[in-house]
Amino acid sequence: MLSHANALAPAPAAREGTAPLRGVPPGAPACAPGELWAAAHLSGCDGLSCLERLASHALRFTPRVGLVPPDGLLLEVQGSLHLFGGAARLREQLRGECQRLGLQPLIAFAPTPLAALAAARAGHELLVSDAAQLTGQLAGLPLAVLRWPEDSVARLARMGVRTVGALLRLPRAGFARRFGAVQLAVLDQLTGRTRQVVTAFRARERFRRRRDLGCELSHHAALLHALAPLFEALGTFLTTRQCAVLELECRLLHRQAAPTRCRMPLALPCADGARLQGLFAEYLSRLQLPEAVRACELRAAALVAQRPDTRSLWQPGEHGGDEQLAGVDLIERLRARLGTEAVHGLALREGHRPEHCWALSAPPPATLGRQRATDYPPRAAGRRPLWLLPAPQPLRVRDGLPCRRGPLRLVSELERIESGWWDDADVSRDYYTAIDPYGVRLWVFRERAAPHGWFVHGVFG
Amino acid sequence: MAGSAQLTRLLEHPAIWRGRTAAQRGGVPSGFAALDAYLPDHGWPRSGLIEILTGRFGSGELALLLPALAALTRAATARWCVWVAPPLMPFAPALVARGLLLDRVAVIGGAQPLWAFEQTLGSGAADAALAWARRPRLRELRRLQLAAERGRTLGVLFRPRRAATEASVAVLRLALEPLATGVRLRLLKGRSARRDALELSWPAGWVS
Repeated sequence: MLSHANALAPAPAAREGTAPLRGVPPGAPACAPGELWAAAHLSGCDGLSCLERLASHALRFTPRVGLVPPDGLLLEVQGSLHLFGGAARLREQLRGECQRLGLQPLIAFAPTPLAALAAARAGHELLVSDAAQLTGQLAGLPLAVLRWPEDSVARLARMGVRTVGALLRLPRAGFARRFGAVQLAVLDQLTGRTRQVVTAFRARERFRRRRDLGCELSHHAALLHALAPLFEALGTFLTTRQCAVLELECRLLHRQAAPTRCRMPLALPCADGARLQGLFAEYLSRLQLPEAVRACELRAAALVAQRPDTRSLWQPGEHGGDEQLAGVDLIERLRARLGTEAVHGLALREGHRPEHCWALSAPPPATLGRQRATDYPPRAAGRRPLWLLPAPQPLRVRDGLPCRRGPLRLVSELERIESGWWDDADVSRDYYTAIDPYGVRLWVFRERAAPHGWFVHGVFG
Repeated sequence: MAGSAQLTRLLEHPAIWRGRTAAQRGGVPSGFAALDAYLPDHGWPRSGLIEILTGRFGSGELALLLPALAALTRAATARWCVWVAPPLMPFAPALVARGLLLDRVAVIGGAQPLWAFEQTLGSGAADAALAWARRPRLRELRRLQLAAERGRTLGVLFRPRRAATEASVAVLRLALEPLATGVRLRLLKGRSARRDALELSWPAGWVS
């Protein structure tokens, strides 16, 4: 293992005066100043998803991460060295991340990405920070690290070129003529003569985790227990991205029946894995499972940026606790068990027709200190009943007076409501207050159009 | 703003003594002077379960409560006023006319009313919650009373008049009958010795 004395690369200004790279004419641009690439060659990596998962963990060290499938990872760490205490410590932490995912890494540092990757593939955990020393350090690496086609490597072997150092000593024009300009470009990127562009890895914004259960489960409590690690992963996912989720979907897969889907919409964005799990328990208890469950999958698609607001000292529901959270919590618990339409608020609408001058609305906002914008001017208090029937009920008429469990006594003067000629709900009624034999005040009306039926529409009191 | 509201609510706890003045709050003013004099706390209790027994739905029980509910929704630290599974839909223009603020009002649908009532009382998100129950068991009533204490909510349970003979854990029980111009109340259970009937007349603007 070869390592360099000073782990931090010197400032770019100081490096201009150092010896140029071997084989590079003076005055040619050196590799991009101030970059140090870490390459990890991973054994035990099966597939792109594993690599992507490691890359999203590696985003912790630097924002510039590149993937070299099937088993390579590149990180540009020059700006992160001082945060992690030097290249050696960074290497240890990166190794720890890889091992946590079950991969065995070989990590090398070099000024160019390809050089670092080549060294890692060869098994040399280099730490080269000075571009001048790069060619010397790469000299002993076998040609296999470049992963060139077999016939090119065989031709080079027949010419007696078996190491990267020998390759770099070949004349450029002849090499290009025999092996192609593409390979020459790769060599230039290796030494840093031209800059290699590494496409940055962007972490996926969706959360989708699946867990295959060891045995088939059909009990709700056992299912919830099996889903617990998925919710924990979701919580970590949301925290690292500073996002919150508005809707969750859980799929339960059976042997023969179609997957059972359970959607859980939320009133406010939530990023707490434990709270989501508690809410999901309510939804789960309402599900009917056709068969035993073999695998479960948790998906979260709608991610919103989360603004963490100040937490209060007391828990919701405690004395002085946060009523805003308590209200939101209550709505979500009620909706989880009773359905989304179970909780609503009331709102006024313009109009005279009793059926149309009010409507159901979203549940009231839980924030304190709201503006009183919805303070409607009070109308005559006595003229409207406190309860409205869903639809007017017809009344029997005896001796010209309506009856309901006995003859009704009309105690007010009439109020005529005629409105709605512009749509089909035309209303033309004379409203009265009536008292029934038991003392209950009713709001009744008589239609002005034939056949002049009597109806009860509301109850006072 | 939210912090000072929380602090105000915390200082309203009856167990906190603030030195010069004890945290005496009494009851919620009911809006009727005669009723305030009649009730044990000089108003409706701030938290706990109360029962109102009526012969028929619509005898004036909601009108009796409305001034207090309106005052609760208009307070600075107002929480919600929740209707849990009402038999009919409350008519929003009439509520507004009696002074309620509609953006503190929530209505919960009809399935599992006692569970929803218990959740509302215990959550601490509501100042007052109203529910209608036919034959709740004593065990359920006890849970409701505990939830109301925990969430510091006034829980009002409307029951039929034949429940007057059953035992109850409610803090206050009133029996109500409609009259031509108002209601007649009788205190069945409460922390005072009055057991006479009170006749209350509605204000002039209410009876058309």
